[in-house]
Amino acid sequence: MTPLDTLFILSACTLAVAWAFGRRPAAGGLIAVLYGGQILALAKMSGLASGALTMIAASPSFEVLGQALSWRFDGPAWFFALITLGAAFASAWFMAGEWGEGYRRKGGRLGLLQVALALNVSSMLLLLASGDLLSLFIGWELMSWASFLLMLSAGGVAVRWAFKYLIYALGGAMALLGALAWIHAQAGSLQYAAVAGLFATLSPGQAWTLVLAFAAGFGIKMALLPFHLWQGPAYAETPGPGSAFLGAISSRMGLFGILVVLVHLAGLDLLDRLLIPFTHLDARDLLGWVGAFTLIVPTFIAVRQHDARHLLAWHGIGQGGYMLIGVMQGDALGSAGGLLHVFNYATYQAALFLVVTAVVHRTGTADLNKLGGLVTRMPLSFLVMLVGIIGLAGLPPMNGFVSKWLIYRDLISSGRPLMFVATVIGTLGTIISVYKLIHNTFLGQLRMEHEDIREAPWSMLAPMLGLIVIVFLTGLMPGLVLDWIAPVQAALGLPVLDHSLGGVDLPNGGLDMLWVVGLLFAGFGVGALLFLAGNRHRYVHPLDNYAGGHFLTTEVRYHYSDDFYPGLMHLIGGWYRGSIQWLERALVSALDFLAQWSQAWFRSAQPALWLLGVTVFALWWVV
Amino acid sequence: MNLTNLAALAAELLLMPLLAFSIGLFLVLLMRRIGARLQRRVGPPFFQPLADIVKFYAKETQISHGLIHDIGIVMAVGGYVAAEALLPMPGMNGLADKGDVLTLIYFLMIPSLGLALGVGQCANPNGSIGISRALTAMVAYDIPFVIVIFGVAWHYGTTNLVDMIAMQQAAGWGLWDMPLLAVAGLLSLQGMLGKQPFEIYVAPAEIATGPMVEMGGKYMGGLFVMQAFQLYTAGALYATLFLGGGDGHWPTFLLQVFVVMAIPMSIAFQFPRYRTEQMISWFWRWPVALGLAGIALVMHF
Repeated sequence: MTPLDTLFILSACTLAVAWAFGRRPAAGGLIAVLYGGQILALAKMSGLASGALTMIAASPSFEVLGQALSWRFDGPAWFFALITLGAAFASAWFMAGEWGEGYRRKGGRLGLLQVALALNVSSMLLLLASGDLLSLFIGWELMSWASFLLMLSAGGVAVRWAFKYLIYALGGAMALLGALAWIHAQAGSLQYAAVAGLFATLSPGQAWTLVLAFAAGFGIKMALLPFHLWQGPAYAETPGPGSAFLGAISSRMGLFGILVVLVHLAGLDLLDRLLIPFTHLDARDLLGWVGAFTLIVPTFIAVRQHDARHLLAWHGIGQGGYMLIGVMQGDALGSAGGLLHVFNYATYQAALFLVVTAVVHRTGTADLNKLGGLVTRMPLSFLVMLVGIIGLAGLPPMNGFVSKWLIYRDLISSGRPLMFVATVIGTLGTIISVYKLIHNTFLGQLRMEHEDIREAPWSMLAPMLGLIVIVFLTGLMPGLVLDWIAPVQAALGLPVLDHSLGGVDLPNGGLDMLWVVGLLFAGFGVGALLFLAGNRHRYVHPLDNYAGGHFLTTEVRYHYSDDFYPGLMHLIGGWYRGSIQWLERALVSALDFLAQWSQAWFRSAQPALWLLGVTVFALWWVV
Repeated sequence: MNLTNLAALAAELLLMPLLAFSIGLFLVLLMRRIGARLQRRVGPPFFQPLADIVKFYAKETQISHGLIHDIGIVMAVGGYVAAEALLPMPGMNGLADKGDVLTLIYFLMIPSLGLALGVGQCANPNGSIGISRALTAMVAYDIPFVIVIFGVAWHYGTTNLVDMIAMQQAAGWGLWDMPLLAVAGLLSLQGMLGKQPFEIYVAPAEIATGPMVEMGGKYMGGLFVMQAFQLYTAGALYATLFLGGGDGHWPTFLLQVFVVMAIPMSIAFQFPRYRTEQMISWFWRWPVALGLAGIALVMHF
């Protein structure tokens, strides 16, 4: 039995336990331990991450209709599996105590949530392990349906968004299936080697069709523009820990697909050869720019959200843009930045979704208009959100800075000014948005009804704090994760980034986070000494402040999130046209119209007359 | 790294923030004197900035709205203290090899974040509006500013500030090679310093000085210290990017910093205040256009 078999068996056991006992809150701990066991099984395969091994196969393999199906883990699979299992472990731990009980008490189906989560993890592992395009497609479909189940599990408004996801996902699956069928017809095989061989022989027209089909199929999962509309609400309405899992890693499976098929099998050279007529652009630029717009548009949609969960979910789409930009850069620095961002993003996004869930658990709302001032009641949760938003905004000393720095640095050295500006616009949008998040949740006025709020319980705090420790440590020592990324780059045929524990040492401007973070904390130390050198301060009530002659009371609310940046919206508010929403609605209406019309035609026309007509035609044909 | 190098580095890490702060105090004085001259006043005496800081820190009434208020001020000052070690001075490179110009500009956002957090806890509507405006202003001026950073980094082929200085010493100032970017940079500086006509987030008559509204005593003192650092950092960064960092000589360097900073300060006292959306559209139009034209110039000629 290979270590990969062990992992699959453990994953199946987790699923079975979730199925049998998941609805009991007491079983939550056991399920979390089982996810921990899967991480240990993954650790047994760490040879893949250090580059000592290139592949570990699973024992079972099948033959279906002459196609061999096999599963194996390589560097990329190990890296994505680690993030998947880490996110599942944190979510399961979070669910294991008070949250699970509370969810069940409020009528939530805890068992369904646990099963859906376990099913997601198993199907994603299966997808990551796929050794040919057919097993990839099977894993892909299983995962799509599993995430549909997870989104659906809350019921109510979530169902609508889950169905919207399903329609998008089916569209994506059709694109993939079409591409697979065509490849099979041409190459007679769906093995990776045969597919790579086929890609090398295609005419530009054929190659374009295949590239677009795969990019659309995988891109829908990543919610790349213009397929971004489903993801924000669908993830946001999923029950808390589920949304943390989905937000952290689920969409990245789309990136994994792009890495396997477009980067590895087709190769970036092929994308470079596919020119867009009348421009200087090629298919790779196109995908890079899709990434850039996916970064900017959803990020600025996030700025306008006033539900914390929706805000985070929209940022999740935007952050995927960085990853795609980095990967499409294709060189050592850029692709390492994109891949590192997958890991970094998962850590802080999971922490952020969990902390928002903790706030919802205590206050009953994620509406940013109805929160505020909670820092005095939930200080550790505040710390989690603070570290999380610094990561999301990509500021030092957290890990998000390092991955973004690699991407910025690469865009400068490869001479892409507009793309560089696009990435910075994304960062600026993120900064203003996350400040609104933390300000309206934890800072400002405390509402009267929140006077007696307590800190989240330890069963919820522990996984969140664990995640922010990772966010900080991998910011301090990005080399730890870059070590795992080197085999990923090698396996995908990308150049490998030369790095050190603290970052990268480039001759023309490098980064050493060990020094940078040390410097920052030394600076804070000096700042603190200076602060303490001042005269002794005393604390006053938050309402004891100056408001231009007025007296502030708890009845006078000033928290607002609808128009938090009025000056900015005064200028760019008109740019939110909702064109793609309009397009989506137009498509739906057109389909609806067609359906109604054909139904009406079928009903109103005289069936007897049609029957007569057909009979006469048939007789004429026979005669 | 041997012991002598380590000791030299430690000395630099101590000296750089200290020198930056001292020069910053002179820049505060310069700003006040320029304002006074333009308004036909005498202006404050030489030691006034230092006296102000001592007074703020020593005041008897020191009011805090909570721990985050305190931490915010610590972050605001500490972030700048740390950032100075990434910005080379004549004869001292500090840690500029460990973090490049990109790291520096993201470092400079940490004090703003600290201030935003601290003001947030004060729960004052004026402060909150001030921060909303300050962050909006950042979206406005940072876009032309990063365009300038891109152009400069592309031109020198490096993001390392030490290398940039060395190259300018060998081949002449960046100002002559990148005049458009230099102008765009200067315009961005005006917004970055929050000087008129872009002082939308202070706006004393509108929102009661915005972020500063709940700050008194050492909190205000912290902001004063931060301002001194900010003025120095802006001037020194500009001198490093475009003026060869004083060609490695202290007198030239100081002269450059003072001249560069005198420009936005002189402009500031001539203007009333723009509205927020006017500021954004101004920055997204003129400095961005100049910056992009500057990049085109640098990349193609």
